[in-house]
Amino acid sequence: MSKDNTVSVSRGVFVFKNKGNRSRKSRSNISKMLSQNLWYQEYDNWWSVLNETFEDLNRNAFASLKSELFDFLKHSHQTRRTEIPTATLLTGINMPDHEAQFSTLKSEIEDNITPHVACLNSQDCGNLKFLMDNMILQFLNSMEQDNLGEEDEQTTITFKKSNLSLALLQSWYQDLYCINDNKEMPLLVIIIPDFESFNIKVLQNFILILAHYLEHLPFVLVFGIATTISTFYTSFPYHVTAKIEIQIFECESSILNLNKMLESFFLSAYCPFQLGGNVFDLFTEIFLYYDFSVKNFMQNIKFAMMEHFCYGNAMALCQIEKKEAKYILECFSHDDCENVRHLMSFRKMVESESYENRIKLLTDDVYFKDVVFEKVTNLQKYIKRLHIFLKCVHVMVEDLPGFPLGKNLREIYVMAVTKTLTDSSEYKEAFKLLEFQSKEELQTKLEKIVKIMEQFINTSSKKTVLKEFWNGISQFIQLLNDTECNDPEELVENTDRTVEPQILCNLTDRKSLKEVSLSKNDALLFRSKQKSISLNKYEKLRKEILEFLTNNFKLYLLQPTSLPLHEIFFFVDLSIKDKIIGTHRTAIHNALNDPHYYLQCNCCQISTSQSVRPTMPDICIAYKLHLEWGKMINLYDWLLAFLCVVDPKEDDTLDEKSKKVVVPELQARFTQAIAELEYLGFVKSSKRKTDHVTRLTWGG
Amino acid sequence: MEEVLEPLKHTYPGREKQLNELFYLFGMSNKPYPLNVFICGGPSTGKSSVTTAFLNAFNIKYAFVNLIECYSSKILFESILNQLTNHKIDPKLGTPYAKCENLMEFCNQVKSIVDTFELNQSVIVVDKAEELRNMEFNLLPAFLKLRKLTEISISVIFLSDIVFEKYYFKLNIVEPLKICFPQYNKDELLEILTEDFKFAQVSLFDHYNKTLNFTVEFFQGYLNVFLSFFYRACRDLRELRQMSRKNFIFYCEPIYKGQLTLNDSMALWKNISPILTSSAEVLYLRITSATSSKNSIGKTTQKLELPFYGKYLLIAAYLASYNSSKDDRRLFMKFHGKKRKTNKEVQQKSKVSEQLNTQIGPKAFALDRLLAIFYSILDDKVGFNNHLLVQVSSLVELQLLSLVSDDSNLDGRKYKCTTNFETIQMVSKMVGFNIRKYLSDFSHF
Repeated sequence: MSKDNTVSVSRGVFVFKNKGNRSRKSRSNISKMLSQNLWYQEYDNWWSVLNETFEDLNRNAFASLKSELFDFLKHSHQTRRTEIPTATLLTGINMPDHEAQFSTLKSEIEDNITPHVACLNSQDCGNLKFLMDNMILQFLNSMEQDNLGEEDEQTTITFKKSNLSLALLQSWYQDLYCINDNKEMPLLVIIIPDFESFNIKVLQNFILILAHYLEHLPFVLVFGIATTISTFYTSFPYHVTAKIEIQIFECESSILNLNKMLESFFLSAYCPFQLGGNVFDLFTEIFLYYDFSVKNFMQNIKFAMMEHFCYGNAMALCQIEKKEAKYILECFSHDDCENVRHLMSFRKMVESESYENRIKLLTDDVYFKDVVFEKVTNLQKYIKRLHIFLKCVHVMVEDLPGFPLGKNLREIYVMAVTKTLTDSSEYKEAFKLLEFQSKEELQTKLEKIVKIMEQFINTSSKKTVLKEFWNGISQFIQLLNDTECNDPEELVENTDRTVEPQILCNLTDRKSLKEVSLSKNDALLFRSKQKSISLNKYEKLRKEILEFLTNNFKLYLLQPTSLPLHEIFFFVDLSIKDKIIGTHRTAIHNALNDPHYYLQCNCCQISTSQSVRPTMPDICIAYKLHLEWGKMINLYDWLLAFLCVVDPKEDDTLDEKSKKVVVPELQARFTQAIAELEYLGFVKSSKRKTDHVTRLTWGG
Repeated sequence: MEEVLEPLKHTYPGREKQLNELFYLFGMSNKPYPLNVFICGGPSTGKSSVTTAFLNAFNIKYAFVNLIECYSSKILFESILNQLTNHKIDPKLGTPYAKCENLMEFCNQVKSIVDTFELNQSVIVVDKAEELRNMEFNLLPAFLKLRKLTEISISVIFLSDIVFEKYYFKLNIVEPLKICFPQYNKDELLEILTEDFKFAQVSLFDHYNKTLNFTVEFFQGYLNVFLSFFYRACRDLRELRQMSRKNFIFYCEPIYKGQLTLNDSMALWKNISPILTSSAEVLYLRITSATSSKNSIGKTTQKLELPFYGKYLLIAAYLASYNSSKDDRRLFMKFHGKKRKTNKEVQQKSKVSEQLNTQIGPKAFALDRLLAIFYSILDDKVGFNNHLLVQVSSLVELQLLSLVSDDSNLDGRKYKCTTNFETIQMVSKMVGFNIRKYLSDFSHF
């Protein structure tokens, strides 16, 4: 790219397109360079796992209505139709996600229903001619691929653009299928993924034309509508809607989609990488408040993962399996150990140790590795349990009135990782509400918990902690069943308390708990007696159950920051917010106020944001000076101040300087800087006062 | 030739007069055909089917083109030529009989093939002729004088939804002969819908997997009931036919269940009338499944999924579109000072409903104003970031806002809010925002 290539009369910006090869090479170089690092390998590994799950989910977004849709398509042309059968998918407004979803839909229709599917995007269909050409070509080629396969691409016939017409399509179709008339005629499916972006007039005519050919060609339309079905009626007049027959298919709302995605892999025990509460909140906020796009959500997570892992090899320990962590630790060099030692929570851990252990931890790599391994396995266990017990909490509180802990699992997750859940006021409120639950409700909830636990217990029988919890819950269910049998007895107030100890005797494995609950129960009973309201049998049992749950939750739902080395698994750095939510105004202000921030040159470094240096670009100097003025700025004053900065030759005063003649070159530089500021919208020439400009921005 | 006409009249009830007229014009092969005929009538009054059936019955050679399909006149000419020459398009090549870009070439082509294909006394049928008004200016006059231009006795039949007087033309052109296809009356509709008898039997069998032997009279009895509900609301044959097919299945349901017999017409009527009333509500909506349609329509029109700030942006856009910018200060600032009421304003406030801003269409607003209103109605502080700006353009893409300024103008973009009051009220209800308080039309209540 020598200068000679770009000789031009005018000054301008020239675009040099990168040659594809070079950029690919450089990228592969980078990945090769990075792949030496343990942390990069792990990052790559986990990201690809996440991404795969996500893409699967996204692609199968239509899975819930697929069978219905396919049924509709199959039956659409069984009888002779006078209207075009039309399926409208209400897809929700998360447009970035739709591309992948519709392309899967297309290939699935191709596999299951008919080889002839055309997918028309609004970008390619500006007018009717483009639309028709596009559709006809896709249909004609669909057959070619089908018959010839990949054998020889040469034989695909290239049609002249001018020859494409529906008449051609018709004769092509008849040529294919009319010879063997007894066979079922395959459909011609047309998918229009972005209904709203289409030119309405074009679509109207398109439908009229299709309707005209419906006798000969079995068309089926599939529309993707992002907003509501009413757009359909507002955009089509009657003579067009008369030609179609609509069936509506509703997709799941995007919030549900997000929850599904999160629960399937992010809020499950399979992924070691955990988002801290604040970061998680930020991402869900972006999703709920800005775009509803699952794809963007994933990109944000990717960014967070990159930030997390590039801390160093310490992050390679972010593993969910014991063995893996052990293996990684074995690979650790001294530098890597140092990397771990720099973690904040490690410092705290060291401080809590005895003196000898401190020195050992800091100097002896072997001992250090053992300790780290122990801590990491602890964390692994903690994460697994965290997710299981969070699900249990979720089951308990998801339908409480007022939703003190939120409706969704993600809300509970955020709460659990930012503070100790059981101490929070929300949790207490929720459990107070739970004390009013009816027996049936409580029972179904406990059964759900048991089901959740079973998923994790059956796989590995040795997890005694979980198993104990599971046993406890199942016993409680049993007890609840028993009380149900004694229904009439239960309704009588002031049933004997003597029954209780008998039941509680069954709970041999939690003696201490029982005692606690009993004493509490007695106290409560005493109190309730005073209020002349007594607890019946069920109420007591309920109390006990809730007590049991809370005690367990207290044990396992700790705040992650209280655990040593939690940084390896939890990403809590909220500073990525600036990078994820771009704010262009701050960026411009930063660039003008502190050019060193972007230029990274030695000459422009400033200590405070107010200081000015003559080496800065002119526009920055002018900008910084203009911040000091009020609403109106006198241009001459501005010029003098500018000269003071740019050309501080003699330490003469301002008065003397004003008498001097201004160097034309400097004046030109000043004028240019002002013009640039005006172009950027910071100042505006004023008509009210001569030689003044108006300042347009404030604060910042 | 009369004997050919009679069965036609039988298959097309209510169109006897029109068939007779066509017969006088085209029936006698020894007589010359008229230059051109203009057939007009509302949608689904049988224009194209009667015409083509007539031409087929009398063995008249014709080419049928639908002008909607002819987005360029090249397609129009080539498809006429293909049909006149019986040219079959080879699916491997896709070439038409002859290349034909303009009218001149078309006339020449027709002249050159006249002997080989016996084009004398042939007809060109032009469907959706109203499209001619938007096509090339010379097409209508040329088709009206086609015989003169080609020197062949070829006639043109125009089929159109609108009357010929609406084809405003500067040139004085020959007015064609006109045949009017009026809308069917109730008896004719009944007769035509009775033709559905066969289809009804088949669809009943498909639906219940059991045949029901019913007479034509029974079917007509149903149609009578059906028409008494729908005839007031709709006279469109297609729509009525679709509705009658759909509801006949429900009509026969009690018979299949064994609750009623074919003769209990009164009980059947009682059974079907609530179903008919509910399906009259979804008339013209063209939704297939009748049972769930009513609920889903009600639900889906209300369900507009938008991100939180997207909703607020939409509300802000609505406020910007339906308030005049003069009122902004009063509506959105907390301490806007007292305003003295002048006589003029009092008069203005007692506006009639036609002068209400919400009744007049939306007005354009600039992006600055939208953002200013957005920030003033939003309670929590949110930074001005790029995600917000993207929201605006995605609202445009969803056609909830429309861009009114030039696309190339990046600086002062102007928008309009295209949503209606009901939608915006619903959206603001979802976020707990009282929209009426901020609309100058309502604020004085």
